[in-house]
This record gives sequence, structure tokens and C-alpha cells, in this order.
Amino acid sequence: MFHILLSLGAGERHGYAIKREVAARTEGKLKLGPGVLYGSINKMLELGLIDEAEERPDPHLDDERRRYYRITKLGRKAAQAEAARMRELAELAAETFGIRKHA
Amino acid sequence: MPDTPLSLKVYRRLLQLYPAGFRENYAAPMEREFCDELEESSGPLALAKLWVRLLADLAISIPTQIVREMAQDARHTLRLWANRPWNTGFAIAALAIGIGANTGVFSVVNALLLRSLPFHDPGRLASMSPYEYIPPHGSAKEFHEWQTQSAYLAGAALVEENDVNLGGERDAIRAHHALTSWNFFTVLGAQPALGRGFLPEEETPGHDGVAVISYGLWQQLFAGDPRALGATVRVNGDPLTIVGVAPGGFEYPNHSVLWKAATYSPGNNGWATVARLKPGITWAQARAAFSADAGDGNPRPQLRSLQDALAGRAKDGSLLLMAGVALVLLIACTNVANLLIARTVDRAPELAIRSALGASQARLVQQLLTESLLLSFVATIAGFVVAYWTTALAAAVQPPPLAAQSYSIFDSAVVAFSVLISVASALLFGILPALHTGRLRASGSRVIRQTLAAAQVMLTIVLLTASVSVGRAFLQLMATDRGYDVKGVVTVNVALDGTTHQINKRQRPYFEEVLARLRRIPGVRSASATEFLPLYATGFVGGPFGLDGQRAKRNSTMLPVMSDYFQTMGGRIQYGREFTGAEVRNGAMVAVVNERFAANFGAPQDAVGHEVTVRRGASRKIVGVVKGMDFATDPTMIDPNQVFIPSSTPGGFFSTFVARVDGPAEAHLSTIRDTVRSVDPAVPVFGVKTLEQRQADLFARPRFYRTAVWLFSGFALLLAVIGIYGIVSYAVAQRTREMGVRLALGTTAVHLRAMLLRQELITVVVGAIPGIAAASLTGRYLESLIEGAESTGLATSLAVALLLAFIASTSIWAGTRRIASLDIMSILRTD
Repeated sequence: MFHILLSLGAGERHGYAIKREVAARTEGKLKLGPGVLYGSINKMLELGLIDEAEERPDPHLDDERRRYYRITKLGRKAAQAEAARMRELAELAAETFGIRKHA
Repeated sequence: MPDTPLSLKVYRRLLQLYPAGFRENYAAPMEREFCDELEESSGPLALAKLWVRLLADLAISIPTQIVREMAQDARHTLRLWANRPWNTGFAIAALAIGIGANTGVFSVVNALLLRSLPFHDPGRLASMSPYEYIPPHGSAKEFHEWQTQSAYLAGAALVEENDVNLGGERDAIRAHHALTSWNFFTVLGAQPALGRGFLPEEETPGHDGVAVISYGLWQQLFAGDPRALGATVRVNGDPLTIVGVAPGGFEYPNHSVLWKAATYSPGNNGWATVARLKPGITWAQARAAFSADAGDGNPRPQLRSLQDALAGRAKDGSLLLMAGVALVLLIACTNVANLLIARTVDRAPELAIRSALGASQARLVQQLLTESLLLSFVATIAGFVVAYWTTALAAAVQPPPLAAQSYSIFDSAVVAFSVLISVASALLFGILPALHTGRLRASGSRVIRQTLAAAQVMLTIVLLTASVSVGRAFLQLMATDRGYDVKGVVTVNVALDGTTHQINKRQRPYFEEVLARLRRIPGVRSASATEFLPLYATGFVGGPFGLDGQRAKRNSTMLPVMSDYFQTMGGRIQYGREFTGAEVRNGAMVAVVNERFAANFGAPQDAVGHEVTVRRGASRKIVGVVKGMDFATDPTMIDPNQVFIPSSTPGGFFSTFVARVDGPAEAHLSTIRDTVRSVDPAVPVFGVKTLEQRQADLFARPRFYRTAVWLFSGFALLLAVIGIYGIVSYAVAQRTREMGVRLALGTTAVHLRAMLLRQELITVVVGAIPGIAAASLTGRYLESLIEGAESTGLATSLAVALLLAFIASTSIWAGTRRIASLDIMSILRTD
């Protein structure tokens, strides 16, 4: 869910674009299947984290109409809170174990 | 790519598995993405990888989404229920009773008819009734020649069961045992748990002092000690050596605890036969061969499967009940469907809004079906209580013939059945409202609801007519004058076999001592004893007795009794008197005859003083003429001419002490039992019951059928009335505006209500016509099933239909009462 929010943070996306972006960002480690992806989208819509934008064609792909999603204010807040939580966790881990430099 | 369309087609199919809500929103983009991915992946390997990934995705997300939407729908449903607790409670109760009763009755059918018997290859086991046909049995040789040379049987065994005194001289108990031909265990395919079955030579007198005991008895007497083999057990005082222990749970026939090898005699007519069909022989072939063997007779001999024979009359009874409860469930479903339709129409605005907001037809149908399933599920859980109660009742009325046939609702077949009927009913009552969301038109719904109501009326008439017929038969059964008075009589059985009183000349002194002690108990008005208790006798003696040497046209039953018998039983002495104590003590050659016997030879009062010719050279002086007593529930089973004689060996057949007491008989049971026992503690005392209890036990089954049918029809009637009331009050609510206009135009409220009454009564008439027809058909079936139940005829069904019409009118009238209080102005103002 966080990944989906992250990809929507940069602007409106349709489902397929979200999936490609998530896959690209995680270097192919996280490949969302369509069922799981839309399941998450459905849930996030219900929770009010994201919103449906109107349908329109994707200029890059073809002229078929696709459904776009955008992040809501609540979604943005949730993403910020999650990021803060993760940073705290990362800092705590760094204090405890030290940080290993990437090779 | 030639296989693209195929892949896409398959994927589309798979997408159909998603629940409606999700499918509507996301199937289209998912399909499009699939096309995109398909274009990107070239070559079979990439295609395979894509499919692996997609299948994993589907496998995870489909169940997640289904659970999600069902939970959503369930929450929605619970909210709806909370808003209409009465409506919902009624639906659940109706279904719970319907489903529960079905589950309960099915568990009986399952135990008796479906679950296989605890024998080897039980489907090939056959049974012959001793009342219809007994194979040649004059000697062991004769029988075994017959069974080994049979063209259609792989083997057959004879078996006869009875009660015996089991145990030592001081602590005998009453137990059920069976005499069998040596191959009994072999034919049934039962391997002894310990030791062996019988050997062929053990059928011959002198070698027959051996027994096989049941697993239960082994545990009880020997605590499972293998040294039981070779030990001695006494049956009616005779010592028998134990040679084997039957496998656990084996207690055929009829809860036997001990088996003894048979002794043959041509006169024995109590042998039942169990047989195993030859391999390769079909049941049809075996039946044909059996008819050639057994010939015609009355009743016509039949080769039954052992399972059917064990189920006996319970088979038809259970199937009848199954039909009854199925009807009840059908009615309950109809009613719930009616309720749901009414509600769907009520909810039309809500559903219209939801559908305008994008909820599709499929999504709404899914929601309604979830609601139905949930309703059915809750009802099934509640129904298990009803089912448990039903099986407990059935076990009390009709105990299963084998321990392995106990009526359990916690049986996989029963649970599967209840789930099946619960889903089936959910579909039945859910599908109509669900389809209905398609056309939210009130007029169409009226037609459906009226059809449902008419169907209900029809089923209710069938059940009500049946209940009248069964109830009438039962009343007749109870009201029959059987020639004695059941109130205030205590009965106690003793068995002298194997005790010191067994020999003939010691029996009477023992009985007289017991009677003397009984008569001294305060509150005992009179006491007597007989070997043949009315309705309870198990065997009879008799013959072609005559009067003064002149032979009667029919045989007579001979009934030995002690003194004061008629006084104690409340029998009616019409002329003369009964036996005195001295006559019984001295074995006087006197007799008391019943009216029927006396009527063979002229006026009954003239019989006193004449002589009954028992056989050539032996006659008894008639001292009294009595109203006869019924000794069997079916009077045609035994000879109606009765000759009572003073009992000289009262310990012979089924010795019963009877005592007439002051006040309620139950209060005297224990005192009387203790008094009988005090004479000789070594004599087993059993059957301590009031005569009323015995009669109630005897008629437990007819009473059960009566109660069951009454409950069914009462329930059906209630549901029908509620259904009709619902339709009417709903129609009134729907047509309020029309009514208002009519009232404004000068029609009176009464006139309007009468109009509605006429309209709705048509529904009742439409249902009544096929109902009456179906009732006469079921009547004919009932007739063959329950003794005394008569096809009630057109008059009863018509009366029932009229009654129903009257009740329906009342509920219609009640349903329209709102019209009288309508405020015309407020109605018209809402426009």
C-alpha cells in the first residue's frame, strides 16, 4: 500500500502505470499481480487514502480510456506518518547496530 | 500469436470468479493489462512465466475479495435484521423448525436405511420372517441340506430369540438371548473377538451345552478376562460352557447378549432365517427363486434385505415423516420468500438509489443471496437443537434395532444433508427475491406472492387433512373398549426359569404366597396373576373347544388365570362368577368363557352350568360368562373365542402379577415390587409398570405419528395465515392512495375491505382445489401405513378447506383494518 501511495505522490496514475512504477522502483523485486493491486486500490479507496480521477486516455500508451487514481489529503498524511515511523525505526536500528556503508 | 485469443478467453473466465462488486470495477482494467502484458511477453517461456505469476495472483486475491464482499454484505444484512427484529426472528424460527425437523428425521432414515449394517458385506444379507416362511427344520440334517443345496443362497442360518434368566442361583438377571443354527456367525461374517463360533456337532442334544456371549456381557461378567473361555454361565438354570465372545457391537438379533446352538423340532414355528445371497445372484433372481421355494401364503412370503427387515414398519413411518417435514420446510421457504419479496419491494427506493450509484444488478443479487445464505445458516445452527430433540424423541418411540444404528445428528451424512438442504432452501427462498430485483414492479411481485400463498394453502390442506385422519385413528385406538380397565392397576413380571420354583408343582404355591402377601398390603384392593396380560401376550395355546361335546366353528384361546383376575383387571362378568381361591388351589375343572364363545351355542346367559369340551373325555363346568378382553392390538391375529381356566402352572409363559390399588397406581409400584421380591430374592422381578404405562408404551408410535402430524399441520396453518395476512396488509399499504381516492369518491371502508377480501380469497380457492385433490391421494397412502387411519374422504378435505378459508378471511379482514382508519385528506395531500 505504501508503494502505491508513493507512486501516486508524484501525480495521477492508472493501475498499470502504478504497477510498472512499483516494479521499476524495487528493481523488479515487487511485482504486483493485477488482483492484488486492484484489491489494494479498492481497499484504499474505501479508506479514503486515494481517490478516483475521471477516466481519460493515456497519452503515452494508446487512446483507450483508463481509470486514473490520485492521492487524497488523508493519503498524503498517512504516507507522511508512515515515512516518519520508518525513519524512526531506521534511526533506532542505526543507533543500535551502526550503519554499514554500501559496498 | 495464434494462442492469444485462447489465453485471453481463459483469463476472462477466471475473472468471472471474482465477486460481483470487484469484478464490475476492476475486471475491465485487469483484462486490458493482461493484453498489455501478453504483447510484451513473447515466446512460450515468457507466456508460461506470465501465467504462473497471474495464477498465483488470482489464487491470492480471489478468496480475499470474496471474503471481503461477503463480510460487507453480511454486515449490511445484520443492519437490516436489526431494523426488523420481528420479521427476521420469524423467518429464522420458521426455517430453523423446517431445517431442524428435516435433519432430525433424516438422521433416523440415515441410521435405519442408509448406514450400512455392521456385518460383512451387508448388502447381500437377506431375511425371512417366521410368520411367512420357515425353511425345512425338522432336524439339523433337513435344514442344512436345504441351505447348502440352495441355488441362490450361499448360506442360511436359523435364529430364534427370547428372554431368559441369566446367571447364578441367587442373582439371576433377565436377559435377551438367541438360539441359532451353528453357522449363524459364519453367515453374518462375524469373527469372534475371542474363542470361536459354534461347531456343526454342537447342534445335537448332549453336545449343545455351549454358548457364545456378547462383548458387553464379557466385559460385565468377566471384566474382559480371556479366561472367560471355558467358564460356565447359567441360562434358565442350565450350565453352559462359554466357547466364544462375539465382536464388539454385535448384538443381533435385538440386543442379544448370549447365543446358544439350536435344537431342532418340526413343531418349532418361531425360527427367523438370515441368509447370504450366492455371489453373482441378483436380488431379483433370488426373490424369484425364493417364491418358488416358499410358494404362496397369507401373508405372501417375501425375501427382504436384512436392512429392510430390521427397519420393519419404521421404514414406511420414517419415509412418511420425511415427506411431512419436507412439506413443512417447503412451506417455511415459501413464507420466507414471501417476506423477502415484500421487503425487496419495500426496499425498492433504496435498491434503486444503490443501482443508480453504480451498484449493478449482479452486485445486488449477490447481496440478497448472501443475506439468504446467512439467514439459512443461522437457522441451520438453531435447527440443530430441533434436530437433536427430534432424534431423542424418535429414539424413545422407536429405538434402533442395532446399537450401530443409533440416531445421531453428528454423522457426516446427516451434517452433509443439513448443509445441503440449508443451501437449497436459501436458494429456493432467496432466488425469487433476487430475480425480483430485476423488475422492481409491484404488480409482478403480487402475482408471485399470490402464487406462493396459493401453494401454501394447498400444502396446508394436505397436512391438515392428514392430521384429521391420523388423529381420528388415534382416538379410535384409545377409545376402543378392550374389556378391562387400565386405571389403578400395577403389573409385575417374574420368571421362574432356573429357580427352585421352576418345576410345575412348585409354581402355584409360589404364586399363592406372593398373592397372599400382596393382598395384605394396605391400599391393594385385589391381586391376581396370569400368563397372558391383555395386549402383551407373546404366545397362545388353544384349540377347537366345544360345548357339551358340540364343536365350535372357530378355535378358542385358552387363558389360565389365578383367582380374583376379573375383579383386579376390571373385567366385566356378565353372568355367573369368577374362580374362587379354592378352585384354583384344587385345580377344579371349571371355566369362564367369553360372550363370543357362548354365543356360538345360543344365548350367552344359558352357557353357565354347561360344560366346555376341552378334548375328548375332558370337560370343564362353566361358572361364568364375561365380556372378552383384547389380547393383541390387532384382534384378527388371534382367535376371538376365549376360555379362561384356573391356572395350575402360572410360571409358564409370561407370568404377570396384577394388583388393583386405591389412588394413583404409580405410588404403589415400589412397595409391590419389594413385596414380590421378598418371597424369593432369587426370582428375577421385572416389568414393574402400571397397566396405563404399558398401554402408553404400546401406543407410543401411533401417538408419535399423531403428534408429529398435528405439529406439522399446526405449523403449516400458522405460516399460511401469517403469509396471507402479510400479503393483504402489504397490498393495503401499497394501494393506500388508490383507497384514499376511492373513499374520497364515496365508497365506504367496509365496501373496500370486502372488495379486497374477495380478491384475496381467490388465492385461497386457487390453492384449495389442488390441495383437496392431493389430500385424497395422501389419505390413501396414510391408510396403508397407520393402523386405523382412514382415507378421510372429500367431506373432510372440504371442511378443512372451508376452515382454512374462514381463518384466511379473518386474517384478510384483520389485514385490511387500516382502511377503516384512513385519513383521506392526509393521503391526498401527499400528492
